[in-house]
Amino acid sequence: MEKEYVFDLLHEAVEKGQKLGGEFIEARYDDLQLTTINLTNDIIKTSSSLHRKGIGIMAYYKGTPGYSFTPELTNESIEDATIRAVKLAKSTDVRNKIKLDFDDLPAIKDRKEAGVKKHPKNFEFDDKLELLKRGVISVKEVLEPTSTVGLYGESYGEKYFVNSEGSEIFWVPMVVDLRMGAIVIKEGQQAGSYEGSGNSKGFEFFESEGLPEKVGKEAGEACKDQLNAVAAPVGKSTVLVSPQMGGVVVHESFGHLSEADFVVTGQSPISDRVGEQLGSEHVSIYDEGVTEYGGYYLPYDDQGVKTENTILVEKGILKGYLHNRGTAKKMNAELTGNSRAINFLFNPIVRMKNTYFGAGDLSFEEALEQVGRGVYAIDMSGGQVGLDGNFMFNCSKGYLIEKGEITKAIKNTALSGNILDLLKQVKGATRDIEMRTGYFGGCGKGGQNGLAVGYGGPNVIMDQVLVGGAQ
Amino acid sequence: MSLEDLRNRILSITDQTLKYAKDLSIPSIEVFVVEQSLTSLTDHQGKVDSRDGIVQGLGIRVAEGKKIGFSSCTGFEKETVKSALKQAYDIAKVSPENPMFNGFVTETKPAKEGKLDPDILEITSKDLIENCNKMNKEVDLTDKRIISGSFGSSVNYSCYAVGTSEGCLASSLTTTFGATSYFVVMEAGDRKTAIDFIQSRKVEPVEGIAPKALNKAFRALGSKDFSGSEILPTVWEPREAAAFLGFAFFNTFSGSAYVEKSNPWMEKLNEKVASKELTVIDDGQKLDTQECQSIDAEGITRQTTTVIENGILKTFLFDKMFGEAAGFASTGNAQRGGPFGGTPYENTPSVGLNYALIKQGTKNLDEQIAEIDKGILITGTPIGLFTANPVTGDFSVTCNDTFLILNGEKSHPLKSISIAGNYFKTLNNIRFIGNDSEVSGYPIETPSMTFTGHTISD
Repeated sequence: MEKEYVFDLLHEAVEKGQKLGGEFIEARYDDLQLTTINLTNDIIKTSSSLHRKGIGIMAYYKGTPGYSFTPELTNESIEDATIRAVKLAKSTDVRNKIKLDFDDLPAIKDRKEAGVKKHPKNFEFDDKLELLKRGVISVKEVLEPTSTVGLYGESYGEKYFVNSEGSEIFWVPMVVDLRMGAIVIKEGQQAGSYEGSGNSKGFEFFESEGLPEKVGKEAGEACKDQLNAVAAPVGKSTVLVSPQMGGVVVHESFGHLSEADFVVTGQSPISDRVGEQLGSEHVSIYDEGVTEYGGYYLPYDDQGVKTENTILVEKGILKGYLHNRGTAKKMNAELTGNSRAINFLFNPIVRMKNTYFGAGDLSFEEALEQVGRGVYAIDMSGGQVGLDGNFMFNCSKGYLIEKGEITKAIKNTALSGNILDLLKQVKGATRDIEMRTGYFGGCGKGGQNGLAVGYGGPNVIMDQVLVGGAQ
Repeated sequence: MSLEDLRNRILSITDQTLKYAKDLSIPSIEVFVVEQSLTSLTDHQGKVDSRDGIVQGLGIRVAEGKKIGFSSCTGFEKETVKSALKQAYDIAKVSPENPMFNGFVTETKPAKEGKLDPDILEITSKDLIENCNKMNKEVDLTDKRIISGSFGSSVNYSCYAVGTSEGCLASSLTTTFGATSYFVVMEAGDRKTAIDFIQSRKVEPVEGIAPKALNKAFRALGSKDFSGSEILPTVWEPREAAAFLGFAFFNTFSGSAYVEKSNPWMEKLNEKVASKELTVIDDGQKLDTQECQSIDAEGITRQTTTVIENGILKTFLFDKMFGEAAGFASTGNAQRGGPFGGTPYENTPSVGLNYALIKQGTKNLDEQIAEIDKGILITGTPIGLFTANPVTGDFSVTCNDTFLILNGEKSHPLKSISIAGNYFKTLNNIRFIGNDSEVSGYPIETPSMTFTGHTISD
């Protein structure tokens, strides 16, 4: 579909909404192509090609938002969605006590694309299937699994945005992803592992970090290690968290607390605490739209705000929060570009971009030596946090650190605590930063689950982490 | 538009898509068509957000022999649908054969449809605001212990249909009403949260929800440290027991995991997997639950299946393909990532729970507590339940809403504790099953339950 035609439709929706009494209108169009292949036990369990397209209309009336959407790109459907959105904003204003209006900005006219060298659309289905087959072979070179799983995912397309200020933004999202899993269930032994991740790159990703042989070998070795794993010692321990583990910890347990919708409603325990020393001097936390380290490519948010590198914590001091336009105005803060929706069916809410701990000055060996005795937590199979800062992550891949060296694999174990206590217990970090994202998984909030975000950082030393497990 | 108008329209789109497929000479096809109309409103401490719209989409599976391709599209526009058909066919043509696949569902006889409430079609955003007003009026938000109060209400009605070139053409309707209250409270640095809600197929009064949630939050204040690590019995209130057991059943009941050899109970058929008091029925036909449908997500008649009877594993849950691969019939358990609230048309069918019912025992919650010298009462859903290891059954969760039980009585609330154990051992360590089942918000309905052998630490 011609870009100008789409922009014309969105401009018409904005004009219609304003005529109906909407004080500010945002109209966006997503047109995404998603492909997945699930190779289980050498059989294609599922393969799919999804075309996800539709229009979302956000109307504001006296600082009260109303959202509607339509999957049909017809004048009639778009007009209907616009009427619904304006009607919602007006009818719900009577109950809305926190008005999140915002000041006008100069119009932005921009078009952005991630620098992809080998676009996945130029590769055949067989090329993608071959990646999984290569990964499975590498798993089987390490052990004899009862079951193997290979997952391939890709998402790319076009995003259009128009608003009452006359902004006209077009950008191209992109993610490719490869995961390998191995399970062993026999003779009373049970073990399982999953490895892999994604990035906002093209097929060149599978020639480097996402090389199938590398992912498959890691999955096989992790499963093999699990067969001989020992229980982690229960109690408070020093934990060295890997870039991916630390990235998830900082995203889930601190990032969400810094989302300004939780701050303006008083739900976050770090409300009204800017300038306060929340963590040790080793703690710096960033949330960035386009990073030099990789992760997820996000040049604009779903309110048409250019994404920034937001400093949340610097040397332990809380510097600010993540905002949409309304919360930024209400809190007299700079725009950060954190208003995001999972797809056109949902209104944008405050979400993270690429969130990570800042680098320290240790080498990996120095970090191990500093830990001395503790746990090296590499990966997790999920976690959950509360808005009180309490968190629980299941460490699915970890090792004991004894006398400054990595020794035995540990069984799945919970790592828990309260992030506001834990930030004070950060004792150092390594020098290098790694970032990743994914087609599979993603962030969940407000019923919008699976949003692509980036996460990572250096290896981070945390003291006093509660390591839990059955006795 | 009435619910029957909606059904007829969705069936017509399904039928039309089958005709397009015939025009394209597609040899074998299954079409899954969904439309859901939704309106929702949330009020977080005075910040109101609202959403209103219609979700529409198709999921298309095409087969050429044993080669299968899947594609989906949003909306019902002719060109979009035809493009999705071609894409599914293109994928099928280049896919390797799936030896387990034996064709799509043929003619089907729908089972009973869940209860429907046409009044839900008349609910507007103003009615949802009024529901929030009613919940708000029942609590005193000026109480200084309340950090924030949130209210929400929603309605939706939806229809899905399945059509195949082999003769299946059937549909299922649902109406849903929901209301929620959620509070964060704090006193002397002790911060607690609580939620209460209703989910129903018909419009319900919202009175009572907010006070129940707030009282639950208040009663958890004044919590004390557990101090140490100890193996103790745990007593779970009904909704918490449902959340806890949901994970255990998710993988162990799965017929696809059985076929794929990733089910830890794959060698346990007709063997003891739980205490003899435990009987679990997957009821796809409990008419007043949201999960009730007349057909499953690939068109098979919904049914009722006894999975565990007196502690013995009687069967697994299957869709058509995995059932046939295992030498069983489908149990009508094909799902597409949960039929509502998302985009089910973007998922191929997979095996899932319809609605697991645990057969009630005899003791109420207080009678169970009275039998315990020292233990833990779980009153809030722990965090981390879904991080349990599906293969080994090991779990370790954190719970912020618990009470210490001492000498047969509920003593005092506890600060955050860790609860760890193994699901498979837990199911064999059931001490009591209560008589107080509640709808949980999950596809599982249990009474309160007591287990032994969990490690508690802080």
